[in-house]
Amino acid sequence: MPDGESKQDKQATQAQARQVIDVFHEISTLLNADLDRQTLSICISLIENGVNPEALASVVRELKREGDETIKVHESRSQ
Amino acid sequence: MSSRSQRVSSGIDSLVRRLLVDIPGEDPADAEEREHNARDFVREVLGHSKGPAVVADVNQASDLIKKRLIQTNPSPEKALRFTNLYSRLLSIPVITQKWAVLYFLYQLSDQQQKSPPVLTSPFKSPVKTGRASRNMESFIPQSPDYGSSREEKPMVEAFAPDGVKRLPMREGGQRDRREEDRAFVKSAAIQREGVARKTALLAENYVEIDPPETALLRDLPFTLQGLSSTHLPFSSDATLKLPPTLPIPIISILHTLAEPSLLYHGLSSFIQSPGSGLLEQSLRAAIGGELRSYLGLVATLEGQIRLALASLDEKEPRGGIGKAGVTLKRCVVWTREATMGLRLMSLISEESKSKKGGQLISLIHGFSSSHGDPMVGAFAERLLVHVTRPFYDMLRQWIYDGELSDPYHEFFVSEQDPNAIHDNQDGRNRGGASSVWEDKYKLNEDMVPSIITQDFAQKVFLIGKSLNFIRYGCGDSQWVEEYSKAASKELRYGDTATLETWIDEAYKTTMARLIHLMAEKFHLFEHLKALKNYILLGQGDFIALLMESLSSNLDRPAGAQYRHTLTAQLEHAIRGSNAQYDSPEVLRRLDARMLQLSHGDIGWDCFTLEYKIDAPVDVVVTEWGNRQYLKVFNFLWRIKRVEFALTSTWRKCMTGARGVLQGEDENVSQAWKLTRGVLAEMIHFIGQLQYYILFEVIESSWDELQTSIHKDGCTLDDLIKAHTKYLNAITHKGLLGAKKKIRGEIDDNTFMVQLGEILRLMLSYRDAVDGLYSWAVSDFTRRQGADVRNETQGRREDDDGLLINTPATTRRGPRHLPDSTPATIAGDSIPDEFPVLQERLQALGAHFKSRVCLLLGDLQYQPDVDMRFLGVVMNFNDVYQPVRKKLKTTGK
Repeated sequence: MPDGESKQDKQATQAQARQVIDVFHEISTLLNADLDRQTLSICISLIENGVNPEALASVVRELKREGDETIKVHESRSQ
Repeated sequence: MSSRSQRVSSGIDSLVRRLLVDIPGEDPADAEEREHNARDFVREVLGHSKGPAVVADVNQASDLIKKRLIQTNPSPEKALRFTNLYSRLLSIPVITQKWAVLYFLYQLSDQQQKSPPVLTSPFKSPVKTGRASRNMESFIPQSPDYGSSREEKPMVEAFAPDGVKRLPMREGGQRDRREEDRAFVKSAAIQREGVARKTALLAENYVEIDPPETALLRDLPFTLQGLSSTHLPFSSDATLKLPPTLPIPIISILHTLAEPSLLYHGLSSFIQSPGSGLLEQSLRAAIGGELRSYLGLVATLEGQIRLALASLDEKEPRGGIGKAGVTLKRCVVWTREATMGLRLMSLISEESKSKKGGQLISLIHGFSSSHGDPMVGAFAERLLVHVTRPFYDMLRQWIYDGELSDPYHEFFVSEQDPNAIHDNQDGRNRGGASSVWEDKYKLNEDMVPSIITQDFAQKVFLIGKSLNFIRYGCGDSQWVEEYSKAASKELRYGDTATLETWIDEAYKTTMARLIHLMAEKFHLFEHLKALKNYILLGQGDFIALLMESLSSNLDRPAGAQYRHTLTAQLEHAIRGSNAQYDSPEVLRRLDARMLQLSHGDIGWDCFTLEYKIDAPVDVVVTEWGNRQYLKVFNFLWRIKRVEFALTSTWRKCMTGARGVLQGEDENVSQAWKLTRGVLAEMIHFIGQLQYYILFEVIESSWDELQTSIHKDGCTLDDLIKAHTKYLNAITHKGLLGAKKKIRGEIDDNTFMVQLGEILRLMLSYRDAVDGLYSWAVSDFTRRQGADVRNETQGRREDDDGLLINTPATTRRGPRHLPDSTPATIAGDSIPDEFPVLQERLQALGAHFKSRVCLLLGDLQYQPDVDMRFLGVVMNFNDVYQPVRKKLKTTGK
C-alpha cells in the first residue's frame, strides 16, 4: 500500500468515520441510549469487527448498571 | 483474524475502562482487580454469542426504531429527524454493519417506557423477540371480551324460559354447558388474533356514516320494543322509517333488525285485542309470555349496548365501535333466534283469526309435530302447553263430571239445542230420554284437535255423554258426584300415554255403571223379554186365550170396539195364562187399544197390543223400535187371526161332515172334498209361516241379541246397536221389509204385499167355505123339511130338529141320509146357489195356489238362507211349481 495514498485515504476514512459517529450519536440521543461519543465509537468499532450487537448491548447495559452500583456503594461508604 | 481479535480485545479493554467509574480513594489493586473481572465478564459474554441472532437487514432495524419513536412520542418530529439521519447514514459507505449498530442502539434505547397501548397491530411486525411476544401475551387478556358466554346466555335463555329444550346454539348441542363454554373460550383465544386483524382492516376501510353507528345502536333497543326513536321512527303501525342517508349495507342490516320490531309491534297489538274464546285468550297469554321473554332479551341487549357505548373511545376509528364488542351486525345475530320465534307467533296469530277452539290447537300442533325445523317444533310445543290449558280443563269437566262448560263453543262436543237443556229438569215428562242420549250432544269432527285421535275423541264423547245421561236421564247424580270426586285428575298437555289410560279407565267405569243402572234399576233386559213374549207372540197360551176371548168382539165393526172391553179381555187373558206369574212391573205396561179407525174396518184390523216403555229405557227401545214392534205384532196378529179363522172353519167342517154335510149328491161331496183339500193347504201354509217367523226368525235373532248384550264391556251404544239389529233382522227376515223400489216405481210384489194378498184370499176363502157350509145346512134342512112333509103325510109325526148344530141333529143326520134322494128333484130354487159357490171356491183356490207359487218363486231366489228355507218347508213335496216373477210378466 503506498503511503501517500493510504494517508489520503485514511484522512477521508477518518472524516467519514467521524460523520458516521456523529449520525449514530445523534440517533443514540434520539433513542435516549445514554452513550458518549467515545464509548459509541468503541462500540461501533467492536461491532464492525464482528461482535454480536445484541450481546454487546447487554454487556454495555450490565457495565453501566455495575458502575452505578459501585458509585452508590462508595457514596454510602464515604458518608 | 488475529488482528481482528486483537482489535476486539483492545476495544473491550477501552470500553471497560471507559465505562468503569473511578472511585476516588480506592485501592489501586482493588481497582485493577475490578477492571480485570469486568474485562473477563465482557469477553465471556461476547465470545459466547457469536453470529447475529436475527437476519441482518438495515431497513428492519430502522423500522423498529421508527416505530419506537412514534410510540414513545406523540409528535412525529423525532421520527422525522431519525428518517433524515437514517438517509444520511445510508449515504456513508464506511460502515458495513449499519443495521447491527442501529440494532445495538435500538436495544440500548430507553427502557423506562410502558408497553405499547392495546391496539398495536403485532401482525405487521414479524420480529420474534422475546419482548415482542411478551407484548402479545399482555395484549390478549386486555382485548375486548367480544361475544363471550356472558352475553350469549340471555340469548339462549330468552326464548326458553322453561329450558324445555335447549337448542344447539353453536356446534355440539349435546355437550354440557360448561364444557361448551370451555371449548368456546379456547376457540375464542384462537379467533382473537383474527378478530383483531379484522378490526384493524375494518378501521382502515371505514367510511363515516350519518347518523353514526353509535347513534343507531343507542336507538336500537327502543326500536326493538316497537317504540319510535330519533333516528328510527315508526311512521305507522307497520312501517319503520329508516334514515335515507345511510349506505345500502347498513340499510339492509337495519331491515333485518326492523323485522323483529315490526313483528313485536303487531303481536303486542294482537295480545291487546280481546280473544273471542278461552283458547284464544290462552293463546294471547302464551304469546304474551313469549313477548315478555323477548323484552328480557331486548333489555339484556340494551345493557350490552349501554356498556359498550360508555366504554367507547371517541378518538378511535369508527368511533371505536369495533373494539366495544357491540355492533349492528352483532345485534342482528343476537336477535336472529328471537326473530324466528316472533315470526312463528305472528304466523300463528294471523292464522288463528279464522280458527277456533280445537282447530287452533290443531294449527299449533301441526307446527310442533310436522314442521321440519326442530326449533319451530320446540317453540310450538311450548306454546301448546299454555294454549291447551283451557281445553284440558274442559276435557276434565267433561269426562269426570259429565258437564260441558264451554261458553264459547270451542270443545269438540257441542250441545245440540240450548232449549233442550233448559227443560231438562222436567225432561222426564217430555219423554225425551232418547233425545238426551242421541241428540243432546254432538261430536264435531272438525273441532277435534289433532292432539287427540278420532277414536279417542269418540271415547271421550261417550264418557261425557254417559255421565250426563246417568245424571239427568237416570237420576243418579249422586254417583256421578262421588265418581268425579274420586277420579278427577288434573289433565295436562304432554303425557299422552297417561292421559289415554286415565280416559280408558274413566270410560270403563262409566260404561259399567250405565249398564248396571240399565239392567238393575230400569230392568232393561226384562222389558226386552216381555216385548218378545207379548208383542212378538212368544207367550203362546196368553195369545191363544186372548184371541179366543176377543174373537167374537173383534168380528164387529171397529167403531163398536170399546177400550174397557178390550182391557177386560186382556186382563182375563193374563189371569188365565202363565203371564199372571210375570212381575207386575211388566204387566202394568201391557195395554190393549185400537189403532186409528178407518171406514169399513172391523175390530181385527184395528186391535193392537201395546207395551209402554218409559224414560231411560226408551234410549234402547226407541220410538222407531216401538213402531217396528207394532208392525211385527200386527202382522203376527193377522196371521194368528187367519189361522184361528181357518182352524175354526176346519173344525166346523169336520164336525159337519159327520152330520149335516152328508149328502148323496156327487157334486156336493166332490166340492167339499176339494174345499177341504184347499183348506188343508192353507192351514199348512199358515202353520209353516208361523213356525218360520216365531222360531227361525224371532228366536234366533233373540239369541243373537242375548249374546251381544251380555258381552263384557258392552256399552249403551252397543246395546242400542244390537237391539236395532235385532229388530231389523226380524222385520227383514219376517217378510216385513220396507217396500223396495225397482226402477223408480214401488214394487207391489214385496213379501208384505204378497202375504197380505194371500191372507186376504184365505179369509175370503173361509167366507166362501162358510157360505158353502150354510148352503149345505139349508139344503139339509130343506131335505129334512121334505122328509118331514113326507112323514107327516105318512105318520103325522112332529120333528123338532130345526136347529142344525145340536148334537141331536148330527146324530140324526145319517139316519135320514138314505131318505134324502128325492130332495134334489124337489128343491129347484136352492141349487142355483151351489154352482156359484163352487165356482167361487174354485177361483179362490186357484188364485191362492198361483199366489203361493209366485211367493215360493221369490223365496227361492232370496239371498238369505233362512228365507230360502221357508220356501223349501212350504213346498217340501213339490206340490207347487214355483214361478219366477219375470216369467209371469213375460207370460202376461
